[in-house]
Amino acid sequence: MTCTMDELILKLKKEIIDVLNLEDITPEDITDDAPLFGEGLGLDSIDALELIVLMEKNYGIKLKDPSQGRELFRSIRVMADYIQANRTK
Amino acid sequence: MNDIYILAARQISAQSPLCEAWMDTPVSYDEAYVRSIDPDYKPYFAPNAARRLGKILKRALLTSRQVMEACRIPHPDAIITATGLGCIENTGFFLDALTREGEELLKPTHFMQSTHNTISSLIAIDAHCHGYNSTYSHKGISFECALLDAFMQLKNGSIQTALVGAHDEMTPDYFKLLKRIGYLGHATNGFSGETALALMLGSVPNGQALCRLQGIEMQYGTDRAALQQTFGRFLQQLAVGPDDIDAVMIGVNGQASNDRCYAELCPVLFPGRKLIRYKHLFGESYTAPGSGLYAAAVCLNRQRIPAHLRMHPSHTEQCGLRHILLYNQFENKNHSFILLSSCGE
Repeated sequence: MTCTMDELILKLKKEIIDVLNLEDITPEDITDDAPLFGEGLGLDSIDALELIVLMEKNYGIKLKDPSQGRELFRSIRVMADYIQANRTK
Repeated sequence: MNDIYILAARQISAQSPLCEAWMDTPVSYDEAYVRSIDPDYKPYFAPNAARRLGKILKRALLTSRQVMEACRIPHPDAIITATGLGCIENTGFFLDALTREGEELLKPTHFMQSTHNTISSLIAIDAHCHGYNSTYSHKGISFECALLDAFMQLKNGSIQTALVGAHDEMTPDYFKLLKRIGYLGHATNGFSGETALALMLGSVPNGQALCRLQGIEMQYGTDRAALQQTFGRFLQQLAVGPDDIDAVMIGVNGQASNDRCYAELCPVLFPGRKLIRYKHLFGESYTAPGSGLYAAAVCLNRQRIPAHLRMHPSHTEQCGLRHILLYNQFENKNHSFILLSSCGE
């Protein structure tokens, strides 16, 4: 459970690639601070639901208010910061 | 009443995809479970669009797009899809997760794409079609029901074009279940396959039409005499005599329980007619009769029945094909007759 921020960011990128089935994308292609939605990876609202499931399943973080996701999923780094601070597993 | 034409057809199956190579170089199989030969989808789908699509959806979209392009009909009046199992692969993923992790942590994509009518609706969204959209999921007669719907609407003129699809995938888990109940998997001359077929039907010939769809008749029941009467009436209505039928395409699949019915009925219903088959090439699935119709349409269009389709290879090659009848039955109870004729007839 204890890992550095860099390790967490890399792990998170791999999980996102896997869960969203991002074919042809490698962790190196995802910039830590680039927006996940709209520009950047171009994710959409269905992906947001997938990410909410990922957060709960892999890190024990339950987002009660889906609108939290808008802020939380701004970039990989923002996600990783939130996970580091709130994870229960 | 309008004439109805099969304007174009595309398939992805156990044979070489998106072409008619099976006419001359069929791929043969010894195993009981065979998945389709998929083309490389990368040239056809943007990565962002492809990542959420299961195999059945990619196959359905690609075959449909190619048929629409071939006919230059970007917005058919109706999209009618036959599927026995729908998106069974995603359904399996969803149910597996449900039993493994409970109801709270389910992936939305698998849930969204686990319904039967996902296929038809996705084709409509992709093609920006806002017209009639329907899905028939009636086990082994799904395709015939979809075809009948399109046929009736085209006949009475309420639509001019219809994209009819037959789409089924077969997962290893579902195959195991079918094998356990004895439905599939004990074939001596056939296999369980997957179907992805798109047909464009229209009431106006486009100069490249494969053939005409003359009629379709379905009957439920085990009464042989009633079936014989129905078939006689069917031909009479179409003004076609039994001797005018050049070949009868039947749905034998190597399973004794299935083939027994054909062995009993064919000599009675079609005495002296040449019998041809298709499931040894395309496999068995709930929508396999779609592949039979496709194969017969291509034969009529090319005016040739390859030797490997003939039940009795001693039958000689025949020129001047005019009518091919399709006869399929499901569980010895659901019977269907479909008559195809060459465009000149």
